[in-house]
Amino acid sequence: MPADTIAIRDKPTLKQIETLVARLRRRQVIGAQETALETALLLRQIVSVARFNSIEQLTQLIKSIARRLIDANPKEFAVGNIVRRVLRLIREETAAALGPAEEPDNTSPFSVPNTPAFPNPPDLNSSRPQLRATNSLATFMIMGNQRVQPPNETRQSSRESTGLDHHGEDHFQGWDGEKKPLAITVKPLLIQAIQEVIDELETVYENVSKTARDHIYDGEIILTLSYSRTIEQFLKSAARDRHFTVIVAETAPSYSGRQMATALSSANIPTVLIPDSSIYPLMPRITKVILGAHAILANGGLFTQVGCALAAAAARAHSTPVVVCAGQYKLTPAWNLYHEYAALDFAGPEKVISFEEGGGGERRGAPLEVINPIYDYVKPELVDVLITNDGDHPPPYVYRLIKETYDDEDMQL
Amino acid sequence: MTKAERREEQEKQRAAKAAVQPEGGSSGGKGGGQQQKKTPQPGTQAAESNAPRTPQVAHSSRGAPDASSVPTEKRANEPAGPPPVPTHSRLFPHLRLPKANILASASVAGTSKAEIHTSILRLALQFSSFKITGGNARCIATLTALKSVINSYTTPQGTTLSRHLMTYLSPQISHLVAARPMSASMGNAIRWLKYEVSVLSIDLPEQNAKDFLCERIDTYIRDRITVADRVIEDHAMEKIRDGDVVLTYARSSSVERVIKAAHEAKIQFSVVVVDSGPLFEGKSLIATLPPDLSVTYVLLPSLSPILPTVSLCLFGAHSLLANGALYSRAGTASVAMMARERNIPVLVCCETYKFSEKVWGDGVTHNELAPTTSASAPVPTVSLEHINLLYDLTPASYITAVITEVGLIPPSSVPTVLFRQGVTAAQGL
Repeated sequence: MPADTIAIRDKPTLKQIETLVARLRRRQVIGAQETALETALLLRQIVSVARFNSIEQLTQLIKSIARRLIDANPKEFAVGNIVRRVLRLIREETAAALGPAEEPDNTSPFSVPNTPAFPNPPDLNSSRPQLRATNSLATFMIMGNQRVQPPNETRQSSRESTGLDHHGEDHFQGWDGEKKPLAITVKPLLIQAIQEVIDELETVYENVSKTARDHIYDGEIILTLSYSRTIEQFLKSAARDRHFTVIVAETAPSYSGRQMATALSSANIPTVLIPDSSIYPLMPRITKVILGAHAILANGGLFTQVGCALAAAAARAHSTPVVVCAGQYKLTPAWNLYHEYAALDFAGPEKVISFEEGGGGERRGAPLEVINPIYDYVKPELVDVLITNDGDHPPPYVYRLIKETYDDEDMQL
Repeated sequence: MTKAERREEQEKQRAAKAAVQPEGGSSGGKGGGQQQKKTPQPGTQAAESNAPRTPQVAHSSRGAPDASSVPTEKRANEPAGPPPVPTHSRLFPHLRLPKANILASASVAGTSKAEIHTSILRLALQFSSFKITGGNARCIATLTALKSVINSYTTPQGTTLSRHLMTYLSPQISHLVAARPMSASMGNAIRWLKYEVSVLSIDLPEQNAKDFLCERIDTYIRDRITVADRVIEDHAMEKIRDGDVVLTYARSSSVERVIKAAHEAKIQFSVVVVDSGPLFEGKSLIATLPPDLSVTYVLLPSLSPILPTVSLCLFGAHSLLANGALYSRAGTASVAMMARERNIPVLVCCETYKFSEKVWGDGVTHNELAPTTSASAPVPTVSLEHINLLYDLTPASYITAVITEVGLIPPSSVPTVLFRQGVTAAQGL
């Protein structure tokens, strides 16, 4: 808290932070997209009112707020993802504003920092420039961190060149030669960058559905589970060009599949609503399984609504392709190797079984345990295609996407 | 849906049923009366929602597939209110719902109602409304009903019982089949009964023959079902050890017996009951399990998170096919698949009289539909239909062993058992 109050003196913004923390804790913000959007809007507000003397201060401030948001609902990964994304953009924008003049060595896209792990052959740059220009596997490995490094180095070098005064303030040489505080100069750029993230979040469904017709052919029978706005838009967009039937599993205990079936059938897409037990016997007839995701993990695995693991396994047993549609903001630098309870989040028993039948924890006076997990973990090897608003990707490539989207130093917020 | 709305709907259904019942005549009154008694049960309301179906739809069992193939646009143009709920699936026209007004249809099938025995009429009603479910229960109920049919049978002049009885029984059986397709257990039992009738001596006096047949039926129920279940109990109990977590799906009478017997034998284990729509039979299982047994209830989609704690899967069977595939309650295949993936042993409790000579490759070719029971499910429209499959087919590769009264056998040994049984039957045993 003290860190916040020092940097933010704007009362409404402080209140806005408190409100979002409270709403996250009370699970009043539902769905990854909504959470991501709210987080991005809050970050824009914070950046616009925050007082900071260096980018380091700003990132520390954002991180401290992000930690509070994540603690409020640790199962909602979108918060952390958006924060990481914004942090990266902040560094990039600052580097772009400060960097090029001072760091001529780093302007080449293939310049590589000298790291002990991957020593740069000294002759590579000078004697064989044509080789440097191609993406050979050898350079690919080293390139891994090159997008991360420049901001750090620019920051350090900018401190060296512009000089740190004794109050620890960064100064930026403006176009008119005057020295202005860093915050005033970069703020508009940062707000513009965050605005781009917000715009992207608002159009995520359209962008995911962009390639829908390329993934679905006429006469297909598609299985989907639960309710996902991404999938609804995706199928509706595909239905403009293709005729297909959608089989929706009810997905007990939330029965959100019913909502999906109503939404699709009202758009005149032939829809079949089935109980979850009918997924396996109908699988031979199903040509494609389309799933939504709660989070896409670094190994390409997914946190999904409960039931998807079963459908994906049944699809694999029948060699039916599994397609996952999700916004890019669901890419999460996390792993799930040991938790069978997926995201370790549970809902109450009332939807599983009525109170009289045992939902109250009792069956005829004897104890009854009712388990109602919210998320499933789908292994990466069960997924064939990953459709995001950023293009189509294979699951094993996700770790690269994560490296490209977030900075290494933000993996732990 | 509020409680008041639900009650209102229930009243409407009751009224609709009352409208149907007078047609059933005096014979139907008995079945109806029993139903009324059961109404307060929570499960029955679900089955009843199926009741108010227009007779015209149910009657056209032949014509309906054609109706379902009518293009949807053409139907949408019809102004006459909402389209009638189809009894057949559009996607799978060969699948059908059980007949709700089976009493009314008894009069149109070309046979007069008088010919159908009261006990059969009642049983058909209980079958079609899912009041009696499960292979064993349906088989015992059918044989018991047939016993009373045989008892009230008198041989007409100029023929003998062994030659004429089957022609009398056939319409009774087809009435049952019209209510709901015959289960494999019923099929096997009826085939056996036909054989028993055909080998009856012509010289046997009528009453003696009837007594003999009833005794044979009792023996069949005792040997093939009751005693077989007891033997299965003993075999299965050996596979449950202290500290085990036994997973079962929906409700199977033999698995229920195994769990109870193992609990009485003071084996310390816990039970996970996995359940799913359309019937949610697991709810009735957890209500009957002993109170001091630790029970966990999960729905099918939540299966994968709980599987790591499970050490054994026990399933019941509707039928075991000659290729070793298990035809059982829809959802069994999914559970078996997930269990097999984690190398959890999958055991199937199946009496040998449920073994079938059929060889099927998939679970949709032969299947049944269940009515949608939930009040909050969206109403079927032109572009929305419900398919609630009742059964699925578990490939033999997912099954570790089959527990039968002849011991633990691999699923591939089903044809061997069938062959041996054929031999013993031919020897007149």
